[in-house]
Amino acid sequence: MTGTLDLVPPRALLVPRPRVRLELQPGDRVIAEIGDAVHAGDVLAERIRDPRLVEVVLPRHGADQGIPLPGTWLPGEHARPGRRPGTPPGELLFEHGGRRRLATGSHPDHLSAPADGRLVEVHPGVALVLEIDGPGLVATELLGEPHAGRLVLLPEGSDPHLALDVALAGAVVVMPGRVDAEAITRARAMGIHGVVVGSLAERDRRDLAASAARQQAGPHHLASFGVLVLGGYLRRAFPSAVQAVLEAVSGALVGTVGDPPLLLLPADRLLPFPEPDRVVVRGGQAAGSEGRWLGPGGPRRLRGGVVVETGLVALDDGRTLPIAIGDLERFSVGAANR
Amino acid sequence: MSRAEAEPAGPLDDRGPDSPGAASLPSPSVTPAGAADPHGAFVTLDQGTATLAGAIVGRVDGRWRLLAATALPAGSDRDALTRLLVDRLRAADPDLVEAALGRPGGGHELLDLPRLMARSVPAATLAVIAATERTRALLEEAAAGAGWNVVAGSAERTDPLELTRMATRPGVAALLVGVADPPDSDERDLAAELAVAAAGIAARRPGMRIFLAGPIPEAPLLDILRDPDLVRLAAPARAPGEPAASDLRMALADARRGPTDSRRAIAAAAGSLARVLGLRVEILEIGVAGATRILASPRPDGGSGVRVEVLEAPEAALFRVSSPGAIDRVDYWFTQGLDRARLRDRLAELAMAPWSDLEGDGALLRGAALRAALERLLVATVPVLGDGSVDLVIGAGGAWSAVPGPAAAHVIADVIRRPGAMQIAIDHARLLGPIGTIDDDAERDALVADLAEDLLLRLGTVVTPRGMRPNRLAGQLALTTSGGRSEVDLVAGGLTLVDLPPGARGTAELSFRGTPDLGPRGRRFQIPVTGGLAGLLLDLRDIPLRLPERPDRRRELLGTWEAALWPERDA
Repeated sequence: MTGTLDLVPPRALLVPRPRVRLELQPGDRVIAEIGDAVHAGDVLAERIRDPRLVEVVLPRHGADQGIPLPGTWLPGEHARPGRRPGTPPGELLFEHGGRRRLATGSHPDHLSAPADGRLVEVHPGVALVLEIDGPGLVATELLGEPHAGRLVLLPEGSDPHLALDVALAGAVVVMPGRVDAEAITRARAMGIHGVVVGSLAERDRRDLAASAARQQAGPHHLASFGVLVLGGYLRRAFPSAVQAVLEAVSGALVGTVGDPPLLLLPADRLLPFPEPDRVVVRGGQAAGSEGRWLGPGGPRRLRGGVVVETGLVALDDGRTLPIAIGDLERFSVGAANR
Repeated sequence: MSRAEAEPAGPLDDRGPDSPGAASLPSPSVTPAGAADPHGAFVTLDQGTATLAGAIVGRVDGRWRLLAATALPAGSDRDALTRLLVDRLRAADPDLVEAALGRPGGGHELLDLPRLMARSVPAATLAVIAATERTRALLEEAAAGAGWNVVAGSAERTDPLELTRMATRPGVAALLVGVADPPDSDERDLAAELAVAAAGIAARRPGMRIFLAGPIPEAPLLDILRDPDLVRLAAPARAPGEPAASDLRMALADARRGPTDSRRAIAAAAGSLARVLGLRVEILEIGVAGATRILASPRPDGGSGVRVEVLEAPEAALFRVSSPGAIDRVDYWFTQGLDRARLRDRLAELAMAPWSDLEGDGALLRGAALRAALERLLVATVPVLGDGSVDLVIGAGGAWSAVPGPAAAHVIADVIRRPGAMQIAIDHARLLGPIGTIDDDAERDALVADLAEDLLLRLGTVVTPRGMRPNRLAGQLALTTSGGRSEVDLVAGGLTLVDLPPGARGTAELSFRGTPDLGPRGRRFQIPVTGGLAGLLLDLRDIPLRLPERPDRRRELLGTWEAALWPERDA
């Protein structure tokens, strides 16, 4: 039946040594250099909070060493009374008509490395790319900014409104069960660096985005914060394979990134893997259940009249059911950190 | 404006020598339809964004027949799907396997059969920067019609910093820079600056493809970029629909999708259908990543050529409800009450996992989303392709397989509100895409002619008169088939279903009390009709369809019609 298991779409559980992109925008100044080994929390770049466009005249002949390319960080020049105005430091967008367009701004924030790794690419004003030492647990989306912290698992069934306190400041907190925007906002106010959730409703995502925008617009910038969503929009428990990985790295320093969405795990932990024929039911009447793939169950008409291919699954609760293959998923086993 | 015209060897057949589709289609060539060899078989695979559909086509009694077909979520393994079909075929009819192969076989020889494969190329994002807002609108329209997701700005409205940020954001795959040709007075000064800005953008994104439309100077790009991936395209036309708009659109479409792209291939198959059947064919292809409307019609002069027009509409993708009001339209058509937040979450979840939750009201939700997507497809394409009557409407793409056949007929009847009569069908085995990858028109036509009845799942005929006074006796239908003659009274304002099974043909004589519009206006009409899973639908509802404003009454009315064509909905 192993061959027929390929009928079930695989979902990656872990990515070994992932390459992750940290977004920049024009005007941000990269401090680290390609090839640098970086550690979680190291400052990689200065981010300008409100970049603006300035036009400056081309410097006098010979002032530049060569011709700067777009993306080059240009130092500022002091004004010379009566001769030329000063220019702020900034990133060159382009030159045209005897003038330079620069992206510049004040109030730099810091962009820090979310995990240990190596800087492998820099694209000024676009992104820098890190190769991470440890594996990454695959998620679906990061809302907010990359961050790092000690992983803390709240117990299953705990109320996040009560369980969150200042002792968790600086941590990355895994919140099982139902999570709403209020709980997440409370987590941020407690100084928590980030939260990991199984799912988040669209309304809570919007509330969170609006809250982040207000923070961004405020004069006092709070520490970076992000919500890593491991699933989708409808409430669902963590699959056992994911839960096992989270438990294995509990207490360790982890990071979160959004491109691709990953929970970055330490390189030195032994991680558990699910059995190859283990499947998770993600929809339908048995949603949330898990079991073992037995083989194709043939085409069946579902309630509602649609005919689909099914697979026979021996569920953990002892039942054997034909379940639509579209409602099944399995975790593909990688070689990461094995 | 020009329309994407696909004469037999038109732009749709512009395939490279190493394309997977071209490389993997020996089967029909080996034993073309009508050839002396009575054996042969091949596998078709349509790899969509959400769905992997496969089929086995074999020669039985000297003609090509569809032997087996199924569909799975896109992540499923292609070989596993083929094995599933082979095992099923072998278990069901070993003699058929032998007949198809020309030798006794365990069946697994079928695993080595040639394959015809089409793939949906997911819509990539194109950043459009133009000198003026006017040109930006034209470029944006052409790019969207070519299937790109578009982010756009103009130097007239947006500063260079914002344009740079827009064009370098994650996910942007290519850059289109354009001015009109000749440039307007306000564009002349900006053309050079746009080129420099584009060079600045491209310098940050090495390898980014750059399309230049109109007289944009290349020099700034060549000065800065060592080996720029530059493509010169036609300038945007002055008005939507003018020839240059179509040239630009086609060039952008070719640049986005490869030679085995299923949407491009379906257009080629539509041409074959129009040629073989001698009908005006409209294909409404809707998937999770995009949508396309294709019109194919035989030449009016009766020649062998066909005219094929293709327009993509990424915003009409099945679960894309990001445009203003899109979620309201899904809610409008959904017959089960659901609060907006929950509805939005369910649609977002379906966009991530399109195959999950097909049971119960999950199928009804897909039906509502399909109607809303079809509306968006028509809104996006009618200004260019028009809304004229056709003979045969075909639903293609994964969206149609998520509802039962008769329910699909109801979806088409609800949204396509044109006076006249049309046959409706769906591409149930997803054969149109793979067949469309066959290069040779004659070979493809022969295969289509041979497969004929297996190729499409006939749903029936919809007759839609316009201009009747609701809730009154409107006239009478007399249906004559080989099985006899039946008469039905027609009451305006509702749907009347007449049983006409698949394969049945007949003549419908309609006698109206008034003079409704059924193409032409008149009292008496005689229409040839074909049967299908839904039969003959006499749609005597308003054109356009008017439904109660109150949600509960609207749901009740929609539910009544839905129940008639989708009895399993309440099971």
